[in-house]
Amino acid sequence: MQLHTLNRSPLVSNVWRQALTAMSGDDRLLLIEDGVQGALAPQVGRFADIRGRLFALREDLEARGLLERCAEGIQIIDVDGFVDLTAEADKVIGWY
Amino acid sequence: MTDNVATGGDVLVILRHGPHGGSLLREGLDTALVAAAFGKRVSLLFMGEGAAALVSGQTAGALGQKGTHATLAMLEMYDIETLLVEAEALEGLGLVMADAEMDVQPVSAAEVADQVAAHALVMTF
Amino acid sequence: MRYAIVVLGGPYSHQASHSGLRFAKALIARGHQLEAVFFYHDGVYNAARLAAPPQDEPHLVDGWVELHRQHNVRLDVCIAASLRRGLLDEGEAQRHGKQGHSVEAPFELTGLGQLIDLGLSCDRLVTFAP
Repeated sequence: MQLHTLNRSPLVSNVWRQALTAMSGDDRLLLIEDGVQGALAPQVGRFADIRGRLFALREDLEARGLLERCAEGIQIIDVDGFVDLTAEADKVIGWY
Repeated sequence: MTDNVATGGDVLVILRHGPHGGSLLREGLDTALVAAAFGKRVSLLFMGEGAAALVSGQTAGALGQKGTHATLAMLEMYDIETLLVEAEALEGLGLVMADAEMDVQPVSAAEVADQVAAHALVMTF
Repeated sequence: MRYAIVVLGGPYSHQASHSGLRFAKALIARGHQLEAVFFYHDGVYNAARLAAPPQDEPHLVDGWVELHRQHNVRLDVCIAASLRRGLLDEGEAQRHGKQGHSVEAPFELTGLGQLIDLGLSCDRLVTFAP
């Protein structure tokens, strides 16, 4: 099980597609930095195929005023949770 | 795992950026070359805009920027045997295999995921 | 677990170095070990010793130095990427006939081989990029 991180907004870059292409099995995707815009209701449908395996970093949502605007079904974690996700995965792949 | 693509390896370098517009392609290639020079089994995957790195007939930039075509020519010399390109990426640029500078194997989306899973270290540039 | 972090973004211009430093501190606080941070691409700007951000803004360069001082984290900076971007330590400045230098210890100019070594020998490699 691998962890993929995504730091670009789907409104700006289509690297989110490449991240999804590279994911297999029960891999997880963590949205960080501007990538947390992908957690908004109008954007989250792009990640429908990995429902239940999608995470977003709390502090990046908070800084952008998006914490209360996050769509349902996304697991919001803090930086400690981020560390734990990396430890649980076999390896971490960054998409930017 | 698919049978027609060499699987497994130490390092998979995924190149997602084209030549000249930025330094990431060059920096990714340098990383792959160093890994190969250190005796690691290296695979290169050109993904998305990275397919533009493969177009034949590239030159230096107008200000003398080197570009990456000369470096790509060195890949074989450095024992980087596994050269892959995302099939969809070639199509997106309107390229066919004959346009490619060198011998790369087109792979499907599923094969991309397989390659990522099969290498111990995956780095994207 | 033994971690290595790669930083590809410069301080201030992108969030990469902020995220990287936060993550570095968190993983150590959580009981893991951070072997080294490898700076490549624009990440080499994190080694700029003359960086002088306003007092009320985070000082990334100092942050990395503090990480080294408190937890013995190695700060490896890709030499090829550095030279191109005007980041030279005393040795390189002399070699290139430049007055002054822009990188000093604990940042160490090193080769890409170090990155490969970290990636293959550490348990986890996490990248923060622009």
